[in-house]
Amino acid sequence: MVTNDATILKVKHDVLREVAKLAWDGKLDECREEMPYKMIPGPQAQFRCCIYKEREIIRQRVRLAEGKCPSGKDSINVVQVIGAACEECPIASYVVTDNCRKCMGKACQNSCNFGAISMDDTRAHIDPSKCKECGKCAQACPYSAIAHLERPCKKVCPVDAITYDEYGICVIDEKKCIQCGACVHSCPFGAIGTKTFMVDIIRLINAGKRVVAMVAPATEGQFGPDITMASWRTALKKIGFADMIEVGLGGDMTAAAEAAEWAEAYKEGKKMTTSCCPAFVNMIKQHFPMLLDNMSTTVSPMCAVSRLVKEKDPGTITVFIGPCIAKKSETLDLNIQGNADYALTFGEVRAMMRAKDVELEPEENSYQDSSVFGKRFGNGGGVTAAVVECFEEMGEDIKPEVMKCNGAAECKKALLLMKVGKLPADFIEGMACVGGCVGGPSKHKAELEAKKARDTLIGGADKRKVLENLEKLGADKVHMHRS
Amino acid sequence: MKVTICIGSACHLKGSREIIKEMQELVAANGVKDKVDLNGAFCSGNCVKEGVCVTVDGTLHSLKPEDCSEFFNKEILGRL
Repeated sequence: MVTNDATILKVKHDVLREVAKLAWDGKLDECREEMPYKMIPGPQAQFRCCIYKEREIIRQRVRLAEGKCPSGKDSINVVQVIGAACEECPIASYVVTDNCRKCMGKACQNSCNFGAISMDDTRAHIDPSKCKECGKCAQACPYSAIAHLERPCKKVCPVDAITYDEYGICVIDEKKCIQCGACVHSCPFGAIGTKTFMVDIIRLINAGKRVVAMVAPATEGQFGPDITMASWRTALKKIGFADMIEVGLGGDMTAAAEAAEWAEAYKEGKKMTTSCCPAFVNMIKQHFPMLLDNMSTTVSPMCAVSRLVKEKDPGTITVFIGPCIAKKSETLDLNIQGNADYALTFGEVRAMMRAKDVELEPEENSYQDSSVFGKRFGNGGGVTAAVVECFEEMGEDIKPEVMKCNGAAECKKALLLMKVGKLPADFIEGMACVGGCVGGPSKHKAELEAKKARDTLIGGADKRKVLENLEKLGADKVHMHRS
Repeated sequence: MKVTICIGSACHLKGSREIIKEMQELVAANGVKDKVDLNGAFCSGNCVKEGVCVTVDGTLHSLKPEDCSEFFNKEILGRL
């Protein structure tokens, strides 16, 4: 996958692997302070101004890998700014470049409604104190001489949660942040990261606790056509997980419960939204609290499977693994009973594996707990497809209009329409990542890169029905609502 | 009221999951779901204390699972 953060990913993963290694060996406390020196031996700096800055960045990354805030300041947000790594990108938004010919037309000046543009000796000049960032000058210039400089982190944030302090360092407004993680991989300096539960999970496995992994439906295809759910189970067991179960089964469970809920709402004429995407749920809670009554009360597939596992064996610790960052925030919402105890990203769990020299190996797919509909839950439109399938299996003759929101921007638009009573559909399927979970911030491969392998793997699954699958696995008795 | 319970490994081994379960049941039984918001927290580095780290509206307490019910009555119900 071509990204702007290949070098950063390497540094991030090296830190995660080193931290995991020390945690597995029980040596984290004694060796923590040596890590920056080990990873940045010097004397020449590679990426930044000096090795001292590079070492400080590593020190802050180690803190994040341990689940602590990078700076000493304590905050509950999962997504965190690594202050030392933020390069204080320019804040001036519209700037005149060398392309300016100080032409006679002066379309820029004529288009500006705020008198912000003047002519200096060689080119036009924008007065930042007057500029309202409307962009009209940039559109008007026949030489495309006016560039729009926006910080990459701020540009991708769907809820405008990114601001700066007086020194230009990025600050996340935690009241607005929905933990979607879009900013994390947008920063070309890798200055935004997330707290991880990696060390906690390693310590609990080392302490002999029964820890069960629950692997996201978005996983199949991410690591090629040969890495099957059976491959995951083998690798996870090698590093000490007691078992693995696919969260696609939870997709089946959620679809069945949501179908019952939607059928009732449809008959009453009440509009509703899905509730499986944690960043979408955070968006409703923090930005559209007036719509909480319209949010489905069905728990997420992650929670459904966790409840199933804990019903069978109450002491079990459940860990979700997927491409999602917001799932970490869902595990922190303790108002929901029986949810997953912890969530890991692909990168984090693979660091735990690499630290023990374990890799995902090709294996024949001998494991299936989910219908194809549950497996497709992680694709945009997948929730709707599964719910519609359940309607058919239940014998409900309803064909609702569903607005399938692909990405946070579309979610926001649909919620705004719902708020003012103008939603041109019966239901909203909210997916905060473009493409659905398969487009999640911690994906290994982009949706299109993984598509062929994903289609091959899911194409090989048997065609069991959703409801019969739940009955067969005893998953139809689990309590499926938030409270 | 915001109640935060540490779910880090050290607090887990001291019984944070038992406390969470009991708190969830107490909140439901007392009908204060709308008033009490239960949150998990990453380790805040206070593991040296004997009990599990529990914060009520910003004030840190150290709580043992067996004292949960008394704590709930005094520090949570008592302050609502």
